[in-house]
Amino acid sequence: MSLFPKFLKLSRPLTARRVHSATNPEGSFRRAWASIGRPLRWIYWLPLGLGFTQYFYTLKTIRGRSMQPTLNPDTSSWDDIVVFDRYSINSGEPIRKGDIVALRDPIDSRKMLVKRIVAVAGDVVKTLPPYPDAEVFVPEGHVWVEGDEPFRTLDSNKFGPVPLALLDSKLVYIVWPLDRIGPLRPTISPVSKRGVSRDFRWYSDMAAFKREQRRQSRVTTRTLDDHVSVVT
Amino acid sequence: MIPPSWLHLAEPAVKRVGFTCLHLINFGFAFHLFKENVGGLCFMAGPSMLPTLDNSGELVLESILPHRLFPNQLGRGELITLTSPVDPSRIICKRVIGLPGDVICVDPTGLKAHSTEHVIVPKGHIWVAGDNAAWSRDSRDYGPVSMALVRGRIAARIYPLNRFTVFSKNATYIEH
Repeated sequence: MSLFPKFLKLSRPLTARRVHSATNPEGSFRRAWASIGRPLRWIYWLPLGLGFTQYFYTLKTIRGRSMQPTLNPDTSSWDDIVVFDRYSINSGEPIRKGDIVALRDPIDSRKMLVKRIVAVAGDVVKTLPPYPDAEVFVPEGHVWVEGDEPFRTLDSNKFGPVPLALLDSKLVYIVWPLDRIGPLRPTISPVSKRGVSRDFRWYSDMAAFKREQRRQSRVTTRTLDDHVSVVT
Repeated sequence: MIPPSWLHLAEPAVKRVGFTCLHLINFGFAFHLFKENVGGLCFMAGPSMLPTLDNSGELVLESILPHRLFPNQLGRGELITLTSPVDPSRIICKRVIGLPGDVICVDPTGLKAHSTEHVIVPKGHIWVAGDNAAWSRDSRDYGPVSMALVRGRIAARIYPLNRFTVFSKNATYIEH
C-alpha cells in the first residue's frame, strides 16, 4: 500500500456526485456563485489591466492615410496594428524629433491623431501652405507635428504648435501586417555598395531618408537662451 | 542527488508576499484611475485665483466624469482644472471666460496687451483666465487653450468648513 504515492488517491470516490437541485440550498448557492462570482473575480483585477494599458503599453489600430508610407501604406490592404508606449510620455522622457506620437486632436478633443514630431520647443519651422505665417517659432512646452504625407493630413500646419500635454503615447512597434512587423526603425541613409542589388527595400529606405532630409531642412534649431521668458 | 534545501519552506511565504504586492498594485491603480476619470479631492496652491480660492491649504472637490461624458457642456464663468499648456506636469485651475466663436478682449486691464486688442476664440478652444489678473499666467500669455487639455470642473470647496462653497455657473450677462 505504501508503494502508491499519497496524491494519487482521490479525495472522494468517483461515484459520489454532488446533487444540484432546488431542494439542496448548498447546490443552488454554488450555481449562483458559478454564474456571478466567477466574472466578479475578474472584475476585481480589472484596474490592473486598465492601469497597464493607461500608463504603460497599449495596442491600437491606425486608420487613415496621413502617415503613408510609414504606416498604412497604399500598397497594404490592412490597417496597421501598432504598440503605443504611454510610459515614456507619462514619465516625462524628453521627446525627440522624428518620433511618431499619438496625440489628442486640439480641435476635436474626442479624436486621436498619429503624427510625426518635426520640431520641438525652441526651433523655427518653415511652414507649409495652410498656415498663415511663413515661419513660426515653436514656444516652450510645445511641439510641431506633421503627417508623413503632406496632402492628406490634418497637422500643425492647420492648428499650429501643439502643447506637450496633448501627447498621449509614442509608437514603438508595428505588430500587423506581418511583412512590416518589428520596431519602428530610425531613418538611416541606405548603404549603396557595388554589387548589392537595389531591391524595393533599398528604394523605400532611400525615399524615407529623402523625406527625413527634406523635413530637417525646414527646421532651424535655436537655443532657448535667447527666449527665456520671465515667469512670475 | 539533490541536496536538501530549506527553499520549500520559504515558498509559501514568498508566494503570499508576491500576491499581496499584486493586490496593492491593483488597489493603487484602481484609486488612481478613479481620481483621474471620476473625480476626487485635491489641494489647491497658488495665488492666481485669489479672491475665490485661497493661496494655500484649501481642499476642493474636482469632478471629472461629467466633463468626460459631456465635453461640450462647458459654460462661461465655470471653474475648471486643466493641464498647463506650457508645462505638461502641472495642473492649473482657471475660470472659463470665452467659448469657441466668442470675441474676447485680450486684457481689459492693459497689463499684458493693449486693452483694445480683441481675438476670436477658434473652434475647439476656450479662453481661460485667473481671477487675480496681476498674478496669473493664463490665456493672456499663451492664447486660447484647446478643450482637450481640460480635465474637469471644480465642484465645491470642502476643507475650511466655514468657507464651504458649491461653485456653480454664475456668469451674469449684461445686455446693452
